[in-house]
Amino acid sequence: MAKKMLHSLTLNGEEVEVASAPEATLLETLREDLRVLSSKRGCNQGVCGACTVIIDGKPVRSCLTLTARCEGHDVRTVEGLSDDRILNALQKHMVEAGGVQCGFCTGGMLMSARNLLAEVPRPSRDAVKSALSGNICRCTGYRTIVDAVCGAAEELAQ
Amino acid sequence: MTELLFPTTVEEAVALLAAHEDARPIAGGATLVAMRNAGLVESTHLVSLDRIAGLAGIVRLEDGRIRIGAMTKHAETASCEMLSGSLEVLRKAAGMIANRVVRNMGTMGGSVANADPAADYLPALACCDAVLTIAGPGGTREVSILDYVEDWYETALGEGEIITAFTLPAPYAAASSYRKIARVSGDFATASCAMALEADGQGVRVAIGACGPGPIRDPEAEAALCGHLGDPEAVATFAKALADQADPVDDVRGSAEYRLQLIPRLISGVLNDISKETV
Amino acid sequence: MSLDQPNPSFTGGAVGKSVPKVDSLEKVQGRAEYIADLYRPGMLHGAILASPYPHARILGYDLTEALAAPGVVAIITGDDVGEGRMGAFIKDEHAIAKGKVLYVGEPVAAVAARTETEARAACRLIRVDYEELPAILSPEEGLEEGAAILHEKLADYIKVFDAGSEGNLCSRTELSEGNVDGAWAGCDVIVEGEYTTQPQAHVSMEPCGALAEVDANGRVTLWSANQSVFRVQANVCESLSLPMSKLRSLTPRVGAGFGNKMEPHIQPITVALAMKAQRPVKLILTREEDFEMVRARHPFKVRMKTGAKKDGTLVARHCEVLVDCGAFADDSPGVMGYALLMCGGPYRFPHMKAEGRLVYTNKLRFGAFRGFGNPQVLFAGEQQIDQIAERIGMDPFAIRRKNMVREGDRWFVGPEIASNGLAGCLDAVEQAAKLPRADGSARNFGLAVTAHISGLLGTGAIVKMLEDGTISLNTGATDIGQGSDTVLAQICAEELKLPFDQVAVASPDTDGSPYNWGTTASRVTYTTGRAVKAAAKKVVDQAMEQAAEMLDCDVDELELREGGRIGKVGSNSDVTFAQISGRAHWAVGGPLVGSETLVFDQPTHDPKRAIALGLPFPRIGVFSFAALGVDVDIDEVSGQVSVREAWSAADVGRAINPKLVEVQLHGGFVQGLGYSLFEEMVWDGPRLANPSLMDYKVPTMRDVPDAIHTYIIEDPDPTGPFGAKGAGEIGLNAAPGALANAVAQATGFRHNHLPLTGERVLNGMLAAEKT
Repeated sequence: MAKKMLHSLTLNGEEVEVASAPEATLLETLREDLRVLSSKRGCNQGVCGACTVIIDGKPVRSCLTLTARCEGHDVRTVEGLSDDRILNALQKHMVEAGGVQCGFCTGGMLMSARNLLAEVPRPSRDAVKSALSGNICRCTGYRTIVDAVCGAAEELAQ
Repeated sequence: MTELLFPTTVEEAVALLAAHEDARPIAGGATLVAMRNAGLVESTHLVSLDRIAGLAGIVRLEDGRIRIGAMTKHAETASCEMLSGSLEVLRKAAGMIANRVVRNMGTMGGSVANADPAADYLPALACCDAVLTIAGPGGTREVSILDYVEDWYETALGEGEIITAFTLPAPYAAASSYRKIARVSGDFATASCAMALEADGQGVRVAIGACGPGPIRDPEAEAALCGHLGDPEAVATFAKALADQADPVDDVRGSAEYRLQLIPRLISGVLNDISKETV
Repeated sequence: MSLDQPNPSFTGGAVGKSVPKVDSLEKVQGRAEYIADLYRPGMLHGAILASPYPHARILGYDLTEALAAPGVVAIITGDDVGEGRMGAFIKDEHAIAKGKVLYVGEPVAAVAARTETEARAACRLIRVDYEELPAILSPEEGLEEGAAILHEKLADYIKVFDAGSEGNLCSRTELSEGNVDGAWAGCDVIVEGEYTTQPQAHVSMEPCGALAEVDANGRVTLWSANQSVFRVQANVCESLSLPMSKLRSLTPRVGAGFGNKMEPHIQPITVALAMKAQRPVKLILTREEDFEMVRARHPFKVRMKTGAKKDGTLVARHCEVLVDCGAFADDSPGVMGYALLMCGGPYRFPHMKAEGRLVYTNKLRFGAFRGFGNPQVLFAGEQQIDQIAERIGMDPFAIRRKNMVREGDRWFVGPEIASNGLAGCLDAVEQAAKLPRADGSARNFGLAVTAHISGLLGTGAIVKMLEDGTISLNTGATDIGQGSDTVLAQICAEELKLPFDQVAVASPDTDGSPYNWGTTASRVTYTTGRAVKAAAKKVVDQAMEQAAEMLDCDVDELELREGGRIGKVGSNSDVTFAQISGRAHWAVGGPLVGSETLVFDQPTHDPKRAIALGLPFPRIGVFSFAALGVDVDIDEVSGQVSVREAWSAADVGRAINPKLVEVQLHGGFVQGLGYSLFEEMVWDGPRLANPSLMDYKVPTMRDVPDAIHTYIIEDPDPTGPFGAKGAGEIGLNAAPGALANAVAQATGFRHNHLPLTGERVLNGMLAAEKT
């Protein structure tokens, strides 16, 4: 068995200590050690976006992030933002607009969208497409996802 | 089994790289971790550069030059107001790398050290006459971006050396732009072109990316083009000079022939973009 | 809104409403479980060793080092899997390579270990002795005299249709109607051309995976990413020579399929590993493995000739296809047969001939992919319709209207067209697209039309009324994200006049669900919906009998009322489903259960009209129709095509859930856009050159137009549930034809090769400038 290292980080608002291989990625740690499963392994190359999480307020790829480098940082996933006003609005609109099909991209998509709306409260449709272009969806053709993000932005602005 | 090391100074990092035979530096991780995940790299030691103070960030030096730390993320470069005029091309190129999420991770030093010929920084930095600061066992040295790429994925970086910064000449009044041809948004370039035109229409600098091991620039041809930008024949002659220096390959993004076709078309296209912008 | 609350109730008339998908809340909360999210006590992780050679004999294995590696519990190779072979049309495939390898990437051995990392490390320690054989990398090479043979025992394999297999010829199909050879002389205009299409990867966001566990009696429980728990069961049992009663196949949520997960991927290997390890084993493919090991859309070579009168009347079409099968037959005979059946497009051709040859090659298997051969032949066919229109000076809408099949017509070789909304589709697209661009510039417009068949094979439904009068629906149909659980619940609720949220949909389970061939062929709404509606009707009938006794009247005096009540016509007195079901469970008659099974049984081929040889679908289904218009921009610098606006109109019978139909049209179009413009699996000799998302690109949000307008045209089918027909594939089919027609209009150059890359379009533009 590989030698493991102990890392402490803030995961979804709670301090956690986790033992993982020194070169383990955050995606591996979240899934295999912590069973936080909303981040998906779609490509493990940072291309598809299904593993996107928010670290210190910024969306990043958990598959390209080494757990050891998260020491002392704040990591958020969909599970940990259940009381987040922006995320809740996005979730509601994703459901209603038909932005969810197979759902495998949805967690990562929401992380990118949540960060966008936190930084740009009323993005144009082009700005949404630009911010979310690193999250691949193979089902919807994207239209309903853009609808959902714009709909959530509108509701939040009211 | 890989060990991850966290030096806090450049000297310490260089010493660690020297101490372990197949140690590799890791910057943002966007490329190296992807390669590790694919089983393409294995090394016993990874030297993480993220806890070295002063390696990230963009500053204006007293003489007006701009210094970009090697650990500066693409997102910061893409939104840096100091990169204006002749240096705007670098800001634009940074904003076209991959996508917003990856731009929060990848660093200029990591990208340039990897020296993927199809990546966006090489032509943009070449267009800016950037100088790299390289630290290694023998101390610190400076290398022009034009001398940096030596062959396909081979660079001036020696054993145990890391890039610590990029220094750009003080920005001057110019229109500059970057355009890449890629299959989809965020893909590596099939071919790309970085260009800066001095406001008086005299000085011109052009670099072509993804058409050889490194960016293609030709200062002599640029000098000849000065003052003749409105002359299609002069532009064609210039484009031919660059295309003659290209050494493109066939790959999944396009054929070598297509890349050669794109060089003059990109140059005209970016000239056109710039003239539209400056009207 | 509180996300813990269920969806709002939709009372009365669930059909026709855009009810949110029943699985969307769990998905936006990150709580949906996919195969990789399942863990079992004592579970091991699997990994696969892939073949480095396209064609080689396996001389032996040395597992010593790998077995001694840390964490390794079991290793399987071809020696562990017996002689069983699986396959939908031709049973030619072992669970894992046995005796020979037939493509680079084919599984050769698999390891179960404590962690995935250990399993992958151990794979690298397995030594396999190979004797390399000549590789067949194209259908033409495969048909050459003296070519190396992939399947030496092809003649002995079980085949479910008259395949005509021989040498490397996997199957051949020939269909003809009228007299094509004699018809050309009567044509005023003839166009012909040769076309090629490229392999496309499905790229379901979820890579394939499976988890298997063996119980104390040796019975296997298998969860996997799939499009049919029943095809999984059949394939695993055939390839491992297990009785079907010894394997239970289940499904978690599935991260899309598009055809990739319909037939087996690594389920048989995972089961074999679990049986050998006697521990649960989970095996999840990497994206790279998913590209190299599973399956992809067939590359086609199409030779097509079409003739017409000068007034635009279509007279004859001849289509020949040469199809790369890859190493195993899989769904290929079906794809080729279907392509030939559809190659005339939705037009009245008095004379048609379609011939195809399917050839084994040393590449990964090509198989089912949304569209199922239709996009490839339409790429040729819809361009030829435009070319004829150009030659005679006819409008592209007019030539299509003039020749389109009508309700009551027979399709090529015989199936009846019982409903047809194509005219409405053309009207919708034409009205919207004839408006000029917002900036007043001229459109670069392209049009294509298509039909698609939904139906095929066995399906069933069990509707149970629970004690409190609410409903459990069990169909065995895997919802791969498209929303069939929701649509089937809507159909069930409508028939029972219950609020939609009172119908719970059971997860597919071969132990408890009725047979369902699969979530494929645009079929679940149509076929399974029929079964659901009929089964729900049986529950209503049983409830009526109970109510008649309870209300002391005859059944024909009763009416079903909204919200789960049955009452006497003209009276207020009624009984609730809860009262009825309580009585049935505890006193009289027994619990109310309605079940229905059916198989689409109308013959495809009418021997009086047509000749059909090697047709793999003796019975097929009902017809949906669609028209697609696109307006494109061409980048002057690169030649790259971008879509400015698209209009997609589809006749899907009755839209049970219009929003879900719309999303099928959006998603289908965008997958078709990627296919038409840049997606391509490229082989470098025998090896796939771009098996990763770094190198194989699919459309991102910025590569698709915001303006994808959809129009649902409802021409109900008499046999469909509430008139519904299929909607899953029809949105993709027409994309290559429409885009090629738009590019031709924009550049003056016609392209016979997909994809329409910047490089190709630029060279077309340059060639057109020269002439």
